Amino acid sequence: MSVLAVAGITKRFGPNAVLKNVSLSLEAQEVRAICGENGAGKSTLVKIMTGLYAPDEGAVLLDDKPLAIESPQHAQQLGVALVAQELSLPPALSVLDNIWLGNREVPLFHRRAALRRQARAALDKLGLSDLALDTPVSALSIGRRQLVEIARMLTREARVFILDEPTATLSDVEIERIFAALRTLKAEGKSVIYITHRLGEVFEICDTVTVLRNGELIGTRPTSEIDRGTLMQMMLGRSMSEMYPRWDDKPGGAMLTVRQLRVPPLVHDFDLVAARGTVTCLAGQIGSGAITVLRALAGLIAGATGEVSVQGAPMRLRSVTKAQAANVQFISEDRAGEGLFLRLNAGQNLIATKLRDYCRFGILARHKLRRAAAKLATAVGVDLARLRSPADELSGGNQQKLAFGRWIGSERPGVLLMNEPTRGVDVGARAEIYRLIRQFCDQGYCIVMASSDIEEVLGMADVVVSMYRGRRVARYGRGEVDRQRLLADITHPVAAS
Amino acid sequence: MKASARLLLSPAVRPFTIMVGTIAALGLIDRGTGYFFSVGTIFSVMQLFATLGLVALGLGLSMLVREFDLSVAGMMSLAGCIAVLTGGTSPWLGAGLGVGAGVLSGLLQGLIITRLGLSSVGVTLGGLLTLQGLTYVLAGNQTVSYPNMAVALGLNAPIAHLLSVRSAAALAVFMVAALVMTFTHIGRDIIATGSDRRASRIAGLNTDRIVIGVFAASGAASALAGVLLSYSLGAASPAGLSDVLAPAAAAAIVGGVSVVGGRGNALGIAAGVLTLCILRSGLSAIGVPPFVHDLVTGGILLVIAVLDAPDLARHMTAWRFSRAERLAHIFSKESRDGAAT
Amino acid sequence: MSELAVPGRRSRRLLGARQLGLTIRVAAIAAIAVFALSTPGFLSPLSINALLTAISFVGCVAVGMTFITLTGNIMSLALGATLSASALVFLASLSFGMVPAFLIAALFGTVITAAQGFLVGYFRANPILVSIAALSLLLGGAAFATGGHRIYPGGAGIEFFKARIAGVPVNAIIFFATVIVGQFVMSWTRIGRLMTMVGSNPRAAIAAGIDITATITIAYAIAGACAAIGGMLLAARYGSADMELGAGYDYSAIAAVLVGGTGISGGSGSAWRTFIGVIVIAVLEVVLLLRGFSEQLQYLITGLIVLGVIMLHALGERRQG
Repeated sequence: MSVLAVAGITKRFGPNAVLKNVSLSLEAQEVRAICGENGAGKSTLVKIMTGLYAPDEGAVLLDDKPLAIESPQHAQQLGVALVAQELSLPPALSVLDNIWLGNREVPLFHRRAALRRQARAALDKLGLSDLALDTPVSALSIGRRQLVEIARMLTREARVFILDEPTATLSDVEIERIFAALRTLKAEGKSVIYITHRLGEVFEICDTVTVLRNGELIGTRPTSEIDRGTLMQMMLGRSMSEMYPRWDDKPGGAMLTVRQLRVPPLVHDFDLVAARGTVTCLAGQIGSGAITVLRALAGLIAGATGEVSVQGAPMRLRSVTKAQAANVQFISEDRAGEGLFLRLNAGQNLIATKLRDYCRFGILARHKLRRAAAKLATAVGVDLARLRSPADELSGGNQQKLAFGRWIGSERPGVLLMNEPTRGVDVGARAEIYRLIRQFCDQGYCIVMASSDIEEVLGMADVVVSMYRGRRVARYGRGEVDRQRLLADITHPVAAS
Repeated sequence: MKASARLLLSPAVRPFTIMVGTIAALGLIDRGTGYFFSVGTIFSVMQLFATLGLVALGLGLSMLVREFDLSVAGMMSLAGCIAVLTGGTSPWLGAGLGVGAGVLSGLLQGLIITRLGLSSVGVTLGGLLTLQGLTYVLAGNQTVSYPNMAVALGLNAPIAHLLSVRSAAALAVFMVAALVMTFTHIGRDIIATGSDRRASRIAGLNTDRIVIGVFAASGAASALAGVLLSYSLGAASPAGLSDVLAPAAAAAIVGGVSVVGGRGNALGIAAGVLTLCILRSGLSAIGVPPFVHDLVTGGILLVIAVLDAPDLARHMTAWRFSRAERLAHIFSKESRDGAAT
Repeated sequence: MSELAVPGRRSRRLLGARQLGLTIRVAAIAAIAVFALSTPGFLSPLSINALLTAISFVGCVAVGMTFITLTGNIMSLALGATLSASALVFLASLSFGMVPAFLIAALFGTVITAAQGFLVGYFRANPILVSIAALSLLLGGAAFATGGHRIYPGGAGIEFFKARIAGVPVNAIIFFATVIVGQFVMSWTRIGRLMTMVGSNPRAAIAAGIDITATITIAYAIAGACAAIGGMLLAARYGSADMELGAGYDYSAIAAVLVGGTGISGGSGSAWRTFIGVIVIAVLEVVLLLRGFSEQLQYLITGLIVLGVIMLHALGERRQG
């Protein structure tokens, strides 16, 4: 008899199906891993199981009875507790209030000694005995917030605990404490769903593993019956060469030089040299500072300092205009929030940064603009028929192409900074984006991208720079690093040698 | 010294610091003539407090959850009108209907905002215009007088020379609000919703219910303000929208409520309202022309709007670094020049 | 937030909502037209003239307000007071002649509103708060400058605004010109396109290297100029002015903007739509009056229409998941 199950779940966002007919069932006292690449549909599945999304097709079953989980409150009532991937701690509240926030058992007058005691015990279990209950969460580091999040979960009376990539920002000691807590839960007869990128964790803590790929269920296996290689193959389902374009080394001269870049409080003394016609990948997890480095180089962070030069000419930080004048362009990791004008149409998005070239005395030459948009659309492979659709009606892949198209087509190729260029892009469109990136390289662009996806880094990079907690760990040329080494670098590097 | 200064200016204490500062400043200007520090001034401050305070409380509550309830101004005049029209024989009935209308309008607007995912400014703007229209229709486009003068006299009767029944009622509402905010999880939930609505929702909080409840409370508070005012004036009239909205917003902001949500409390709002009321009564008590009050209020609001603006810190950091870099540049140039000569 | 707020099932059902919204809008305008044309006396020259004059005051402010809404800053509560203050400046400076007075008053409205735009654009200060602060400052400043007295024309020249050209009141001609210029700026100029982008997504605009401070400041400046023009027309009509002149005009203006179908969340809007909004509200008011409904009912109906349009508009935009 299963505690929690989903049957035939399909979920679409606009034209994209992110989950296709996925089924799985979880027994009591089972610790189940769910694995898959970025964009495989793991987080969407979790959100359906906890009532944040409603499935388009299929059902969620509790104790073999189908029910509609209407809201996170309802999920909690049914005994399903979640540690979400995005932090769910309102920063204005104290640690204590955050631990009990949203808990249905808190009485109206909530200043109770018993609640303090229980919160204290949960924190102690996770090794946070030094953390005062009345500290505002806004004062905590991301890693500590993650632990508070798990403490909240421990105080919930639940039968199924779901953890969505809880260890991304944690150290080994912290991870070990979480594992200990999970083992206790299991011994108490609870079930756990554990979503992770790290294959090591799957074999260490989980009984079974379910693999998703591109929204589809690939299979569920006991961890005792498979090895890492099999699991990898299930996750990828193809060889690297199909996904990533081949290319010949044509190293050019140094184009972007960064020295002593500091972005308080995260990034310390970061150095980088990137060459024309190459892809440099900053590999690092959330909180590693890789994304922050590129945002700072794009001029978007006010506190950034350091020496940056582009083709020998110094560039001032902290100004988007200055960065663009130096021919440094930026593609954001947050397409909806910072990348695109979702309510404007595709064409308007493509020419957003080129208006100046197509106007006279401030008046737009609209037919020229339309022609320019069509040309850019062809260059990045967006269907011309879609130029007039609002950007929010396009798929993630097409949206990303719009973001690309904005920065190409200038006379002299410059530096292209990209944060997580394939986030939220399905596998098919991803290959196309990789091809585009290579194409830019051949045109002489210098590409620097930050990514938390190891496969992507290994498949695309001429130069890999690994980062951990705001510092550079190592630099590798093409073919000088393998998966294990890179994973070790970005999760818990051996003391820098 | 520095630590205590920081405490006085910290968001939780700042409203009280400003209030005491205002009293001290007016006392200094007054220099013991006794016009400012008089029982009469205190009484008139509290009378103003009774009108403005509850509206500011309603608006401030909506700002705590990162919304903006423009309809408080319309609710105030509508509730006053309803009370005057229906409370002729039984003032309690009129008051009940007036406040009930406030709750109803708040619930409806809250429902529209949460169910349709709309911006509260747009919805409450429509609400404001609708409520104002309703008031015009009910009042027949003229001032309606309230026949029951005993109620008016009773509401304005002094208690211990300092308060009236009306201002005591407003104070009591503030007390209840402060208790709820401090000691129940509702207060915590309101702050959580304003601080990060998405996170609160994932944590399992029904944020829609909180927002709807806040709008209902906001409607009730502003309706009560209108009922009390109309009863005590013995009349209701359908006019003057922005006359109350601007000072109410100013009071909430001076009271430490942040426009980005998640910061503020009922006692702070009370202090903010008192500051504005003290300014108004105090300035007129010491014989300053009334426009000074408008200028001071506007100035305070503008300063706080900039202080609370999200990009202020960003620009400060950027300025600091740019200056440091310029200085470094000059120094390096000087040392080069020095080496050359 | 929209991701969380919209369960997927709803989105598909609402896919047709945009067409539905359009249909309802067209049907509503047709219904109003039939209602108006069938009202006895509506088409009389007297009533048409009254209508044209009445819409020109609030219309100018509404076109200005559209620029503020377009850049994502919702509305300004200070435009009514700006209208009054510009009217005071206009009448007081008529002693320099009509054209200089016009320019001085327009410059006055432009500068004080642009200053608010600068605070909003540069610091990203809350636009509603800034406008409330400006409202207080304008009221206080005007009371200081005038001593609370009404201002009468300091010279001749206001007769020009009361004239007619080819039977059309000058007021209305100036309003039409404002609409045309406003529409031209919004859809044919670079700055207009930048305003749309800033209103659609300010963070993306910053990342794209757009100077949002300048863009928002210019939008506010235009809004101030429009309010000043409205103030001058109104002052000329009444032959005197005080700070009560423009009270409530900000609310009427935003009502017209919203009824015209401009979204309150920014990034969309046109002077033309606002023009329709102004006409719809004005026609309804005239028709209700002609049909013997009380004046107060107009307020209620305007409010209900605004609420209805906002909800309708929301339904149309709902499907972004």
